[in-house]
Amino acid sequence: MLDAYIGLLIFWPMAAGLACLGLRRPAARSALVMASAAILAAAALGLASQTPLTANPAFLSSSTALAVAQALGFLFPAYFLYTGLREKHALVIVFALCQLGLAAFGAFGLPAPAEAKAAVVVDGLSLALVLVVSLIGPLISIFALPYMAHHEQHLGPKISRQPQFFLVLLAFLGFMNGLALAGGLHVFAACYEGTTLCSFLLIGHDKTPEARQSALRALWLNSLGGVFLHTGILLIQKQFALADIQAIATPALWTGTSSQALGLLPLALLAVAACVKSAQLPFQSWLLGAMVAPTPVSALLHSSTMVNVGVFVCLRLAPVLAGTSTGRLLTLAGAFTFLAASALALGQSNAKKILAYSTLANLGLIIACAGIGTAAAIAVGTVLLVVHAATKGLLFLCVGDLEQAIGSRDLENLRAAVATSPLTALAAAAGSLAMVLPPLGMLAGKWAVLEAATASHASPLAATVVMLAVVMLAVGSALAVVCWVRFTGTLLSGVAVGQVTAPQTTPKPGQTSSLASGFTTSPSASPSASLSASLSANLAANLTTGPILTMLAGAVGLGLAAPWLNALLLPAGQGDPLAGGWWLLPGLFLVALPTWALGLRARARQSAVSPASPYLGGLPSVAPGSFVGALGRSWTLTEGNEYAPEFFGEARLTKLAGALAAALLLALAGGAL
Amino acid sequence: MTLRTVMLALGGLVLVPLAGGLLAGLDRMLSARLQSRLGPPLFQPFYDVGKLWSKVIAPASQWQGLFVRWALVASLASAVLLAAGADLLLCFFVQAASASFVALGAFCGNSPYGKLGAQRELFQLLAYEPVLLVGILCLAKAAGGFDAAGIMAAHGPLLFRLPLVAPGLIFALLVKLRKSPFDLAASHHMHQELVRGVYTDYAGRDFALLELAHWTDVGVTLCICSLVWATGPLAMVATGLAFLLAVVLIDNVTARLTWRAMLGRAAPLALALAAANLVWLYLE
Amino acid sequence: MLKRFLKTAQVRSPWLLHFDCGSCNGCDIETLACLTPVYDVERFGIINVGNPRHADVLVVTGTVNPRNAVVLKNLYDQMPTPKLVIAIGACGCSGGVFREAPNVLGGIDTIIPVDVYVPGCPAKPEAIMDAVVTGLAKLKGILEASA
Repeated sequence: MLDAYIGLLIFWPMAAGLACLGLRRPAARSALVMASAAILAAAALGLASQTPLTANPAFLSSSTALAVAQALGFLFPAYFLYTGLREKHALVIVFALCQLGLAAFGAFGLPAPAEAKAAVVVDGLSLALVLVVSLIGPLISIFALPYMAHHEQHLGPKISRQPQFFLVLLAFLGFMNGLALAGGLHVFAACYEGTTLCSFLLIGHDKTPEARQSALRALWLNSLGGVFLHTGILLIQKQFALADIQAIATPALWTGTSSQALGLLPLALLAVAACVKSAQLPFQSWLLGAMVAPTPVSALLHSSTMVNVGVFVCLRLAPVLAGTSTGRLLTLAGAFTFLAASALALGQSNAKKILAYSTLANLGLIIACAGIGTAAAIAVGTVLLVVHAATKGLLFLCVGDLEQAIGSRDLENLRAAVATSPLTALAAAAGSLAMVLPPLGMLAGKWAVLEAATASHASPLAATVVMLAVVMLAVGSALAVVCWVRFTGTLLSGVAVGQVTAPQTTPKPGQTSSLASGFTTSPSASPSASLSASLSANLAANLTTGPILTMLAGAVGLGLAAPWLNALLLPAGQGDPLAGGWWLLPGLFLVALPTWALGLRARARQSAVSPASPYLGGLPSVAPGSFVGALGRSWTLTEGNEYAPEFFGEARLTKLAGALAAALLLALAGGAL
Repeated sequence: MTLRTVMLALGGLVLVPLAGGLLAGLDRMLSARLQSRLGPPLFQPFYDVGKLWSKVIAPASQWQGLFVRWALVASLASAVLLAAGADLLLCFFVQAASASFVALGAFCGNSPYGKLGAQRELFQLLAYEPVLLVGILCLAKAAGGFDAAGIMAAHGPLLFRLPLVAPGLIFALLVKLRKSPFDLAASHHMHQELVRGVYTDYAGRDFALLELAHWTDVGVTLCICSLVWATGPLAMVATGLAFLLAVVLIDNVTARLTWRAMLGRAAPLALALAAANLVWLYLE
Repeated sequence: MLKRFLKTAQVRSPWLLHFDCGSCNGCDIETLACLTPVYDVERFGIINVGNPRHADVLVVTGTVNPRNAVVLKNLYDQMPTPKLVIAIGACGCSGGVFREAPNVLGGIDTIIPVDVYVPGCPAKPEAIMDAVVTGLAKLKGILEASA
């Protein structure tokens, strides 16, 4: 049964993706994607019911499987090389060649490492990633169904390229599950490259020059990460002749005499590779470029799943890092990304860029947890991973939906969106408040990181480094609060002052009536055709709101469940799961629930009366967004958020922060020697 | 959870807002005396809130009542957490939530003055939050734990180990109490360019509840500040009053700064001092 | 007891909104003089606010003309109830010497109901403070009548 679950988790999405390529009818595709969602969810939950476990399914542990994995280690870089040559992109070519060279050296130049004891190891951390991938991923895929239909309507390619899109999207989920479950480095590395490939294809899906450029940037940066990863793996292979991830993540291995020559350098390299995959500064540019991709891609790859690979690796290696200078530097690097990315997010008016920067900020927070490396910090990091994935996925879906409704992804144009798309705007507001407010998980995580970091430290230098990180976390957390409260405030903004941006695109599928009437006015429309059109529009609306509402419930639910998640993830005897303030959170929920109801009652009461006229320095107003001034003329008011470019300007801050972060990572690799 | 904790929590729920109201009255009296005026009676803030409670006015937005109530409950929750001697960081975060709700309510309103105030309120949050947070970390390190009860039970005054945190605490208090030179979000008197900033749209009963939330915030923040000399209840009250006096004095001798000066100069300076103190505590 | 407190509170905390309709600034200066240490109206809980949504008493100086009549009406409408209006100075009470001017509509009471009139050109600070107290007594009467 276990093997079946694992097989479904890894191979079903790939098979379903291939089937999508054959099924060109949208209805069949929708059915298949929804069925996949159910299957993946069932398999993930099935796996969860038996965690912790180890398994040796033949399709992952047999020598054929390993040979295939190793072959993929050649195949993917070879494809990258081909792409680099075709696009004449020097960096892609160089890094692909490096990867090929490393793979060849690993396969032929070194003795084969001892194979992993178990091909599949599921503990709390890998289960967390599997659940994120298999529950959030399919939801986003479902959201993608109407989104992509509308997207193509907007772009208008001659032949629908949705089959390819869904192939890559679903195959990606398979790679992610494989990566999370892998017990050996070969399968892990193959899946790692697989996610790089998928992200390249998905970012470049639209084939616009901008998309192509962003895709290539993502490719070369992630190939660079791959080079780091393979170097690290080779060093481990050379030193210990090991390919078992669990064995590598044992502190005892690294304190032994055989490891003195290189110190923690292999681990530092793996951590740097993780930083690339998680788009930590200074590697953030690929994630920002990736925002040109259709929103489901941004949501799936760049917020809730693929970027988690990096933090997953860091958390996996964290036990070794605890108390080492490498770990402390990693904490500092993570905290620095948290600070700098939060500041960058605050200076942005592009909603998707805000999400992107906030994503890498929160990943930095998780990496800081990994650097601390204590059992409590790892548990917190895992909780943050899960809660962040759900919350950020929700926010991406909401922004994508609003973008299609309003025709802009600029925060200024989303002002007062609550009046036009109340459901989505409120879901987005809930999601963004869940990012920063107690008693929900993200804040609880931040708080727990702060307390974990302030535990006693051995040497003065170590204490100084960690305290520096703590101060960065403090500032970053305030920046995040401001950023998200302002985001919420802008969405919920009262009567829009100034001109409301008219929708620039055709109405989105969610707006049932207008789409249906669009169909009925076409000359060939018969009554039955119009009926079916309105039915499909209804379906499309449900496919948009359904995932959003499910994600909303998930994000808030997980946010509330954080203390219990933390207790589940803490290994027994490794600290009190209810230490510090964790035990206070359930009490806060009990306060929060009636307060929520109280607030809603007040809202109901206030909705019943018509709101007061706006105070505009005493001048009357006859229409929203204007006031009556001299000679009875109506003057238009405009308003906008203060993005404080002199403090948070992107160009300057990116350069500065990039240089500092690069220095930190260099120190990380150098200090590990 | 003992009976004593419950009693303390209930005490905090009732006494902290009341103390905040009295402090607001004291503040107005002191300010008046500093300006060689007689000033209002001590209980004037209570009359103000009582009057606002009875006023009838249409809300500026259907969301304001909701956010006001959330803000009030969050403030009261932070008071309860503090009084019960719970984790100081959590108390701080809950209070920050209250400030966020106040800004959100202003965002929802329809007056541009309110929205301008909301933006500034958020920048104020950005300025004082890290300072206060690092200050709390220093307190926790000096006392050996994050529990308010533990800090109160620390031996001897902590101030001597936290000399560089004190300016930061005063900075945070100035912002939190909406005092000059940092009364940027809701000018305390009739500064016309802002009207009442973040408070512009709140009126009537909502405003009264908001005022209660503000009192609670003031009480909680002063309590946190007074932990630097928490040798006994009387010493804490005296320390809190000393902080209040310092803040009122600064309020009366300074003019308002711009938010750029606050974010660019004052906040980094206060933060750097507090951070230096934190590192020093760990090097000891 | 709470009820009594709430009732007392309504007359113990008058917040003024001062609007200069078309005054020569004489009455404005006298009005603001009330805030100075010499008169110190904050003794009575009086605060000068800039926002009609927070105000209880509208203090108006000067004559009304078509341009500012709209603003006066709007400010009055934006105040919460119960509210008081005090017309200050000869111009505010009746239009004063400008009464017959072509652009002048007259005193405040041509636009909004006025509760207390303060004569004088300019009105004295003592008279203005007295007017507030008189207005509050009137408010108290209204509140008691409605109870």
